[in-house]
Amino acid sequence: MRSLKILTDCRSPLLALLLASLAACGGGEPRAGNTAPGSSAGLKVYRHSMDESPTSLDPVQASNVYANHVLINAYDTLFSYQYLARPYVLKPNLAAGWPDISADTLTYTIRLKPGVHFIDDPCFPDGKGREVVAADVVYSLKRHFDPATRPQGAWLWQGRIVGLDAWKEAGSNYDQEVEGLRALDDHTLQITLVKPYPQLLDTLAQGYSSVVPREAVEHYGREFGIRPVGSGPFKLVSYDTARIVMDRNPDFRQEPVDLAAEGYDPATQGEYGLEQIQGRSPPFIDRLEFQFIADASARWNSFTKGDEAQYTTIPNEQIDRVLSSKHPITLKPEYADKYFYYAGTEAGFIFQTWNLLDPEFGYNEDPERQRRNKALRCAVIKSFDWPARNDSFYGGIGTVFPGIIPPVVPEFDPDLSRDSVTRDVAGARRLLEDNGWTASNLPVLTFGTTANVLNRLMFEQFRAWLKDIGYPPEKVVLKQYATFGDISKAWKQAELPWVVKGWGLDYPDAENTLQLFYGPNSSPGSNDSNWRDAEYDALYEQASVMLPSPERTAIYRRMNERMIEECLSATGLSRTRIHLWHKDVIALPDREIVGGFFLKYVDLKD
Amino acid sequence: MEVLQYSLRRLASGIPLLLGVTFISFLLMVYFGPDQTYQLLGKNPTAEQIAEIRAQLGYDQPFLVRYADYLREVATLDFGNSNSTGELVTDLLGRTIPVSLMLILPGFVLGNLLALLLALLAAHYRSRWPDKGIMAFSVTGMSISYLIVIIAFQVIFSSSSGLGWFPVRGWNVHSFAEYLEYVTVPTLATVFVALGYNTRFYRSVIVEELNRDHVRTARAFGVPPAKLLYRNVLKNCLIPIITRVVFTIPLIVISGALLVETYFGIPGVGKVTFDAITTGDQPVLKAVVGLTAVLFVLAQLLTDILYRAVDPRVSLS
Repeated sequence: MRSLKILTDCRSPLLALLLASLAACGGGEPRAGNTAPGSSAGLKVYRHSMDESPTSLDPVQASNVYANHVLINAYDTLFSYQYLARPYVLKPNLAAGWPDISADTLTYTIRLKPGVHFIDDPCFPDGKGREVVAADVVYSLKRHFDPATRPQGAWLWQGRIVGLDAWKEAGSNYDQEVEGLRALDDHTLQITLVKPYPQLLDTLAQGYSSVVPREAVEHYGREFGIRPVGSGPFKLVSYDTARIVMDRNPDFRQEPVDLAAEGYDPATQGEYGLEQIQGRSPPFIDRLEFQFIADASARWNSFTKGDEAQYTTIPNEQIDRVLSSKHPITLKPEYADKYFYYAGTEAGFIFQTWNLLDPEFGYNEDPERQRRNKALRCAVIKSFDWPARNDSFYGGIGTVFPGIIPPVVPEFDPDLSRDSVTRDVAGARRLLEDNGWTASNLPVLTFGTTANVLNRLMFEQFRAWLKDIGYPPEKVVLKQYATFGDISKAWKQAELPWVVKGWGLDYPDAENTLQLFYGPNSSPGSNDSNWRDAEYDALYEQASVMLPSPERTAIYRRMNERMIEECLSATGLSRTRIHLWHKDVIALPDREIVGGFFLKYVDLKD
Repeated sequence: MEVLQYSLRRLASGIPLLLGVTFISFLLMVYFGPDQTYQLLGKNPTAEQIAEIRAQLGYDQPFLVRYADYLREVATLDFGNSNSTGELVTDLLGRTIPVSLMLILPGFVLGNLLALLLALLAAHYRSRWPDKGIMAFSVTGMSISYLIVIIAFQVIFSSSSGLGWFPVRGWNVHSFAEYLEYVTVPTLATVFVALGYNTRFYRSVIVEELNRDHVRTARAFGVPPAKLLYRNVLKNCLIPIITRVVFTIPLIVISGALLVETYFGIPGVGKVTFDAITTGDQPVLKAVVGLTAVLFVLAQLLTDILYRAVDPRVSLS
């Protein structure tokens, strides 16, 4: 780099002009890269890489984990999840404590911490951030019921809070009160429910429920989506599709870390140096940088460079190179020397579902054909080779499980029969034969995906499995969609017979996955199978108002079995994510459930 | 005065082109582009919410009404806000176009200047080993995928398994030294590929000129080779060279360098355009297409004026 220094020492008018344009391009942001890892001009800088970028930072559009990573660090939510506890455990955040809940579990009275302020911003009089009050929470939740905001999170509270849907029907007038959503005073919020909603507090930990000031929304208009004004631990410095830079909020409230209260387990988490944050108030870093690197090899190169990204998940194509063992997961010594790792099962799963509105495979006017269709569905599911899929596309480290209650939730049943995820070619052939299915009368099965090589390979693997059970390859066809929006449209309009997708849990409760097969959620809702089953729906409605209990778990498990009995879905696989981070970073990274709540606690070794 | 009159006439004649480009591109966006409704929906939408989003996006309006809005937006340069981020489209372009220019200009300038030099050399030594060597290099540059070149250069110059001299990715530029750090590898990749195409094109133009009578006469009069190449050949080749260079400019300004920006994590207009295409963000797409069309009209005008500057025989009337 000596030559570069010589070049920069040149004093020419041309150079001056170029420097002027550089200054115009770069803005006034201090430099934060390419020095010793984690430090930049004395600043503690943590660089977190992710495979995609958020499209909007408006909490009403916080529909993905990428947006949530940023939002819950720019804003406060009433509740959050304990940093280190697994399974995930809620804790009060902006809320001063647990709510007072009425005996009928319909009224929640939540007190807010006093003295919490929004960051300073031109949207406030004199540019000084004012105190966060209960009316802000009311306003923030109301925004999900205002069509003008293009909200994506209304489904969390739709039909749940007294008067909120009616408020929308009446024109979403923010000056009009909602009976079930009231600020009793500056620091007390009251939520009245239509019926018990055991997941309410989880919804108040989502990025969707970030508390925003009305002044900022009105001041920035549509640009509020790139100008977050919150009371969270960090504040936005710059935002583009490649990088988001946030600085420590110097006025963030002082709340010393109590590791025991955060679920710290010295036996499994002791090696990460987390004791160093005990008793100190976060945030501990001066700057948080998100680097959005879609290409896995570029992300890996940046991570292994040493002075760039300090965190990554291991790309599938690097798994064999980095791991010395998959069961249990261990790193090769050359990587273990340089990086910490944590392998966690994702809070979500991959599955493929039949769309029963397709008469060739699902509901049919002819009862006999409908019966045969079920046999056909069962045969295709029996052909599915989950271990092969796991090995081919998920590094062989995913967890295959039967049904739709994934291992990450407490209601998971480890003793459930694995027949539905065990390949049975002979059984599938027999089912087809017994029900009159032959190569000539089997219907064309369309496999819809977004257009990329990986999906094409998945299709070819699927087609080969079907060939094994006698399904003619020419009758298994691929339909590719240019974008996720296009295939999403096909799902919502129930155009495809076989829906291949993944689901990320919004909260750690199996209700979040069981609702995927609840009849009233049929297309365009989240029930892509369009299955309507009286028993399942009744059980769902019964469980949806129950607090966690063995009785509710039993109902959940019965629903799971019911779904398996009907051969609705080839399911499922929860991927294992291996998080890697540099050894100078003191953290236990995670991206599940809400995603990114650990970032507040990241520290760097001096 | 003649130039001004010509410019006004040329600009006026560009209006049908502008209308044609905007109409066809808008037709494609509306009827064949992604429907952004389904990207903006929550996880469990209702039919009512789908209708609300469609109305918000203006999808419920007749095509001609929407096209008229588009023309008004081009005329006023007010394209509204991005449907994805909510950012003003003019701010978005104002933020990203300078980055793309800074990224691409060195490669563009070097790629053309070096190609001209190599083409002159190759033409001068036509059919001899310098010509064959340069052409072999050009064909190599043309034959290897740009993406492969980018990945290879990143691994060689930036990664820990290579030389590790430059940042793997990013654009954290606040000084000239940082600019050089971030721009060098993308520029090397761009020049490597551009040299292939440009050198071959320029060589063929120069070889054609070398065969002309006036060059043969100059050579017979003993004009030294360097002077001959510069004064008798290069100057007379300027018209095709100008055409090629000027018509590349709109693509650089608006479309940026998608692959380079994506792979090196550089927040330029190419990446923004790609994201807008894949998500169906019509306000951004309309701005990019409209401005590209306008720039092509201006490039056409500039080309004609430069023709006149380098060759007085060209008439602007």
